[in-house]
Amino acid sequence: MLQFVLSGLAIGSIYGLIGMALAICFYVTRVINFSQGQSMMAAIMLTAAISSAGYSPLAAAAAGLVGSCVIAVLAYVVAVRPILALDRFSFGWLVSTLGFAAVVENGAAYLWGPTSRPFPAFLNEASIHLGDAVLTEQQLLAIATAIIAATLFEVVRKTTLFGKLGVAIAADPEMASAIGANTTAVALVAFAIAGLFAGIAGLLIGPSTFANPYLGSTYGTYGFIAMMIGGGTEKPVTAMFGGLLLGVLAEGANALINSQASDWFPFLVLVVILIVTPRGLFNAGHLLPRFRVAATAAARR
Amino acid sequence: MSAGYGRFDVVHDVGLRVGRGEAVALLGPNGAGKTTVLKAIMGLVKQRRGTVRVGETDVSAFPTHRIASGFLAIAPEGRRLFTDLSVEDNLVLGALHLRRETARVQALLDSVYDLFPVLRSYSRRRSAFLSGGEQQMVAIGRMLMSDPDVLLLDEPSVALSPAAVETVVKALIELRRRGASLLLVEQRIDIAVRVCDRLYILTHGEIAEEMTPETVRREGLGIINKYLG
Amino acid sequence: MTSKATPLSRAVAVGRPWSWRVAAIPLVVIVYLALTGLVANASINVQSLVLVAAVFGILAFSLDLVAGMLGLYSLGQGGFFAIGAYFTAIGAANFEIDVALLLPIVIAVTGLSGAIIGAMSLRVSGLYFAITTFIFTLVLTVLATDLRITGGTQGLLGPALPDFPGSLSALGTPVAWCVMIALLLAMGLIWNVRNSPLYPVLLSIRDAEPFAEAAGARTSLIKIGIFGVSAAMAGAAGWLFSFLGVVSPGQFDWSVSLNILVMVLIGGINTTLGPLVGAIFVTMFPATVNINPWLQEIVYGALSIIAVTMFPEGIIGLARRRLAARTSRRAGRTENATLLTETPAASTLDSRRPADLDRISSQPESPVGEQGSAAVGAVVECRDITFGYGAGPKVLRGVSLTVERGHIHGLIGPNGSGKSTLANVIAGRLTPMAGTILVKGMRVNGLSPSGRARLGLRRTFQAAELVRELTTSQNVSIGLFTRVPGIVRRAALWPLLPSGWRDQAWMRARSSEALRSVEAGAWTERRVGDVPHGIEQLTQLASVCVAGPDIIILDEPATGLSSREVAHLARILTQLKAQGVTLIIIEHQTRFLFPLCDKVTVLNAGEVVLTGTADEVRADPVVRQVYLGE
Repeated sequence: MLQFVLSGLAIGSIYGLIGMALAICFYVTRVINFSQGQSMMAAIMLTAAISSAGYSPLAAAAAGLVGSCVIAVLAYVVAVRPILALDRFSFGWLVSTLGFAAVVENGAAYLWGPTSRPFPAFLNEASIHLGDAVLTEQQLLAIATAIIAATLFEVVRKTTLFGKLGVAIAADPEMASAIGANTTAVALVAFAIAGLFAGIAGLLIGPSTFANPYLGSTYGTYGFIAMMIGGGTEKPVTAMFGGLLLGVLAEGANALINSQASDWFPFLVLVVILIVTPRGLFNAGHLLPRFRVAATAAARR
Repeated sequence: MSAGYGRFDVVHDVGLRVGRGEAVALLGPNGAGKTTVLKAIMGLVKQRRGTVRVGETDVSAFPTHRIASGFLAIAPEGRRLFTDLSVEDNLVLGALHLRRETARVQALLDSVYDLFPVLRSYSRRRSAFLSGGEQQMVAIGRMLMSDPDVLLLDEPSVALSPAAVETVVKALIELRRRGASLLLVEQRIDIAVRVCDRLYILTHGEIAEEMTPETVRREGLGIINKYLG
Repeated sequence: MTSKATPLSRAVAVGRPWSWRVAAIPLVVIVYLALTGLVANASINVQSLVLVAAVFGILAFSLDLVAGMLGLYSLGQGGFFAIGAYFTAIGAANFEIDVALLLPIVIAVTGLSGAIIGAMSLRVSGLYFAITTFIFTLVLTVLATDLRITGGTQGLLGPALPDFPGSLSALGTPVAWCVMIALLLAMGLIWNVRNSPLYPVLLSIRDAEPFAEAAGARTSLIKIGIFGVSAAMAGAAGWLFSFLGVVSPGQFDWSVSLNILVMVLIGGINTTLGPLVGAIFVTMFPATVNINPWLQEIVYGALSIIAVTMFPEGIIGLARRRLAARTSRRAGRTENATLLTETPAASTLDSRRPADLDRISSQPESPVGEQGSAAVGAVVECRDITFGYGAGPKVLRGVSLTVERGHIHGLIGPNGSGKSTLANVIAGRLTPMAGTILVKGMRVNGLSPSGRARLGLRRTFQAAELVRELTTSQNVSIGLFTRVPGIVRRAALWPLLPSGWRDQAWMRARSSEALRSVEAGAWTERRVGDVPHGIEQLTQLASVCVAGPDIIILDEPATGLSSREVAHLARILTQLKAQGVTLIIIEHQTRFLFPLCDKVTVLNAGEVVLTGTADEVRADPVVRQVYLGE
């Protein structure tokens, strides 16, 4: 019981980090960056490549983080900004961010080959016993990092001027620009932060997955589900809760149902959540046409 | 200046001038394009031609966020506060371009609280939970925080109780006394007459007439009602 | 079609280039079948290339039907596709059902599940609809991977179509014929819908749902139904796909749904051939560009980015614009000359008497109107209406209002006094918290806006809600939705039905007549996106008048009109009144409104201040204070 909860939290914190990365981009630009998983992959690949070239793992990790930020920012510049500038074309970003994901993923495969490469271990495989459960240091580190990152993000959002500016832009971009906010600059920073989150997730998961160019789409999908479960479209930090829940559910299903249950059980939960509380998850104000709001008002009667 | 959405102009060849320390009202019926004029001045309407000048600076080509950095500020229709944030956060965000000059921001904040003492006691409250009149005060305060050359106000009296309207009008008169330049879009002529030095009448996207409050007082409201229908 | 109609083309507008288009159909079909014969006898490689492209062509058309025409960006097409394929494979292998019999079963099953998913679009829309359908696909692939009956990741071997009998063996592979004919049918279906009167209605549901509802369209039912049809198309594509070999989860994962969207977007959304062009590009790209597979994927990704960022209208849209630019350059001189004679002032304000108006409104919309027209009395009655948005303050408080038959009833009040809310309550868009509404003596609480439209109650909107990419006359024809029976039912076959031709000609004539009667006749063939605001308002009015309603609610009709246009509007409204139409007009410009009105009601802060004649209202001191600001 405790075992699957803990290992679920460990893997869930990875999903949560990627979910938050997606949610941070969405928060500011109302766009889902489908190449987020690929920026995570970029961090893993770069770290692996640089450390295998003989540099210290820490330097490699730093370079990996920078790499994932750069990829995320590039995604904005190449695939998001031109679409938003056209603005009448509402769903073009879906295609362009996926196209960008394909470019990054296959670029990595082209550069480094499609097979898995070793990833430097930052911590030794020492395990820690908590009651009758066993957790590796790596897993513990993942949980701790995720909690710290989520808390830090929330503190920044709530207390700093920049964070409040983010809140303002998320709520009313036009008015935000009318008080002097450069929305493009803020979006760039948001994408960079999201890249950082994804990169951290990559460094945390790298030792157990090894470096493979196709990691991005798997983890991107799970991150997306984490965001949707948590309702991260409204508040980025809820994506972390969604991720932790998703991880525990998946591990729990594996432990209690059968070894393949983690493939479908989380989806089942997601569907149930979507059916039961579509309002809770689907309530991002101005995305819904106004008449829906009116209809709700009428329905509430 | 002309501006519009899409291929056809909502307002055409509107020329107006606000002198230093002057208050000018823009009156007109619904749909005449008053709000569009303000948005175009602010750079919020993409298709626009002509020039907008603030002092010596031609801001026509500036993006909105630069225009908002000390040149002009707007209290828009519907107030549009950042309702998730507290009153003070809304105000401080107004001074975004001054964020490095903390002393000046503090001074501006104090002057806003002087103008609307009630806001000081509510400073920590989420702006969503304020009454309409208080929200309008925050919107005006947020505009003042950027220390702009000209204040643009879009129908500050809409959907307010008579008492709240009175507070807002008094505040505008006080601002005038402090030397602010105002461009006020209004539907209520009485307010425009009380606050402003000059009135422009906008019908069908064009300036139909310019007059002074004295003319209105002398000749009665009929002279404007002729345009407002 | 030409994007800008010159007066010359307007003259022949009634007999548009329909005749040659329809004459060309048999020719196109023959050529297509000949090509199919070639494909059916071609090598396996060519065949699989073409057939996969064709199957995805069907999928792309099915998505274009909902995404292009209804704005529902479904990522569930891959899911319906999978249902169709698995149903066929399992049905044929495990239950030994005849493959031909499986087709109707598959269509029924996917159509039904499509309708259920479509019903969700009523709760969530836009991005969230896309995400929900995306998750639907995700769940299906996971099920396909984990269930025993679906054969796990290995998948199932699809059934084989029986070969043609010996005498027909020259035709080649039967699968090729099946797929190609299905593609032709899919193309034909979409083309028919696009050329039926349902098309403007669908676009209005996409862009201006309240307008479609006010025209009497049951928009929720239409959305659900169309989504069901689209899902059935995807299901049928799955049926076809199962004959092409193995059916395994990898072929239906979420990226398939996204790829279908990519096809539609790259080819050109809401264009006749765009989805097919996109499908050909996406499926054939890997097979024809023979480079390092990763480089190839990189090029593909880069191309799709370039496609959506630089050519948002897709390949077909781009080609069309190129073509239009060339033709307009050639016709440039004449165009300029005609535009001069066509300025709005000249066309809308000529004082031609709108003689046609009588004919238009002479047919009452509903039987109720006929029997009631003799009786004089209240035609719309509101009793103690109370309304508030959510938990907020009440916008309307105990409003009672009686509108006499044949009257023009003005509704004035300062901003925020609840005028538009009251109009929405009467028209059925908002449900009051308390109070009764009677239309023609009938209690209509709980009746939908479309139901009230069928009662003969029509309305306009403050900000004209029209489909900008359609012409004014197409927009007006949406107003005829309730007057022509079976628009939805017949849409799939419309251009092939003689009755369809007749009705369409009638609708077109009625629409231009209605536009002429509001003196916007010069703009019939212009797209609404290209006409000035005043014409937009008049188009809206025409779309309401064209149905011959008994009661019209006008929400600030004079907003944004020039003074000449306002005078012109007043003339039209007087005409309507003369025909016995009851008008409820919300307006700010009292100078325009008062001379027209029999009765005026003044609202302030959600309450009726008074109801009386214009003179009584003008004289009332309270009104002068709250409204005129004296």
